[in-house]
Amino acid sequence: MANIAAKRIKREFKEVMKSEEVAGGAIKLELLDNSWTELQGEIAGPPDTPYEGGTFLLEIKVPETYPFNPPKIRFMTKIWHPNVSSVTGAICLDILKDQWAAALTLRTVLLSIQALLSAAEPNDPQDAVVAKQYKENPTLFALTARHWTHAYAGGPAAIRDFDAKVQRLLDMGVDEHQARVALSTYDWELERATEQLFNREE
Amino acid sequence: MGFEIKRFQGDVDEELICPICSGVLEDPLQAPACEHAFCRACITEWISRQPTCPVDRQAVTASQLRPVPRILRNLLSRLCTSCDNAPHGCNAVLKLDSLPSHLVECEFNPKRPMPCEAGCGLVIPKDELAEHNCVRELRALIATQQGKLTDYQQELAEQRLIINEHKRELALLKEFMRAMRVSNPTMRALAEQMEREEVVRWAGSLARARVTRWGGMISTPDDVLQMMIKRSLSESGCPPHIIDDLMENCHERRWPPGLSSLETRQNNRRLYEKYVCKRVPGKQAVLVLQCDNTHVDEHMMVEPGLVMIFAHGIE
Repeated sequence: MANIAAKRIKREFKEVMKSEEVAGGAIKLELLDNSWTELQGEIAGPPDTPYEGGTFLLEIKVPETYPFNPPKIRFMTKIWHPNVSSVTGAICLDILKDQWAAALTLRTVLLSIQALLSAAEPNDPQDAVVAKQYKENPTLFALTARHWTHAYAGGPAAIRDFDAKVQRLLDMGVDEHQARVALSTYDWELERATEQLFNREE
Repeated sequence: MGFEIKRFQGDVDEELICPICSGVLEDPLQAPACEHAFCRACITEWISRQPTCPVDRQAVTASQLRPVPRILRNLLSRLCTSCDNAPHGCNAVLKLDSLPSHLVECEFNPKRPMPCEAGCGLVIPKDELAEHNCVRELRALIATQQGKLTDYQQELAEQRLIINEHKRELALLKEFMRAMRVSNPTMRALAEQMEREEVVRWAGSLARARVTRWGGMISTPDDVLQMMIKRSLSESGCPPHIIDDLMENCHERRWPPGLSSLETRQNNRRLYEKYVCKRVPGKQAVLVLQCDNTHVDEHMMVEPGLVMIFAHGIE
């Protein structure tokens, strides 16, 4: 790994560790290997959002050309958000792409991702299905996001009706995550979700 | 890329840190409007990818970057740092501005060039001295020289081939021109005119010479001296069709009646001053060309001119 990248990451790692956000539990950063190329980030779901109470893990890969190129970051924790792929965890955030600036750091990037959870950009979506729901049925979107936060990010128990529907599909032998995706996609209409799940298998 | 922050004594102010490499600013430049400062190497690399300020993303081009203010440079130069060669045992602590001069003479530099004392005469980096083997190094040197020699020989052979081809073509052309000249009187006249004009042009390009001591004339120059003069004539651009004739006329046996013996020369001495002489560049010799000396008596001149070589006395 290029000297400058390792030097920067070491310093940024210390910066994050000393920051008030870490002290307040809003973000965390952990080192995964000794070459400073792979890290694991953690952000707390912001208050007054459907993500409140959840803890979201992020995979951080530092390219050799860092900080001239942005770090590669994706959600490892599944999340229902217009700007995050519900399938791969890929994040659509300008500063991770063409708006990257060399003075940005892991700390500022983690805070930006956290801010993205509070303020989605449905017009620049990473997940078209989620974005559509966000725009057309914001209430249902918030409930779905809360349900996912409970299921994957350790958030508080939420909507009993949703849990029951997932259980119905589980009883039919459907994989839990597949069931949740299908129900979320079809606005929690059990019939359409079932139809889609079983038609696909034929 | 900036200096490792750990090398500095005490705390370094955040303002002196490059936001790109997170080291202490090295040879810093600043953006024009927002005045954010970066190491020259860091910001150049960044701008080659994206023409913006890395801190606030304002548009910046490489040519707009400016040196940072003196006060910032002074603050930087006052920082105390350890030497680059600290891992190799150098304990020096220096002001940042005296680091470059220290590095040049630092005795702990593992790459410091040292002459081999075993006698091979090579200069080698200090850290390679232990591994150094005179015979092996010299053999490697011989091998590379041999390689170069072979390359040059090959090139020479190729050039020779090309020259020979050119010579053949030239001979053919000359033969062709001669045939044209013989068969066509207009051509002959044209060719002669061209040759005359060439001589006049060449004569015009030579500097005037003044002979201060006509007594220093060498009337029977030997072959070595003649070759030297001929070479100089050729280099000065002497037209090839008269060079041999001219050189024949550097010896008294070919000189006109008025110059052909010591006695006639003594008698005609006063006529020498009428000659228009031209310099043979770099030599103690003059050219007395027919085209410059149409006013001179026939018994003092021959075609296409005279070459007079002296022991000394040419200005």
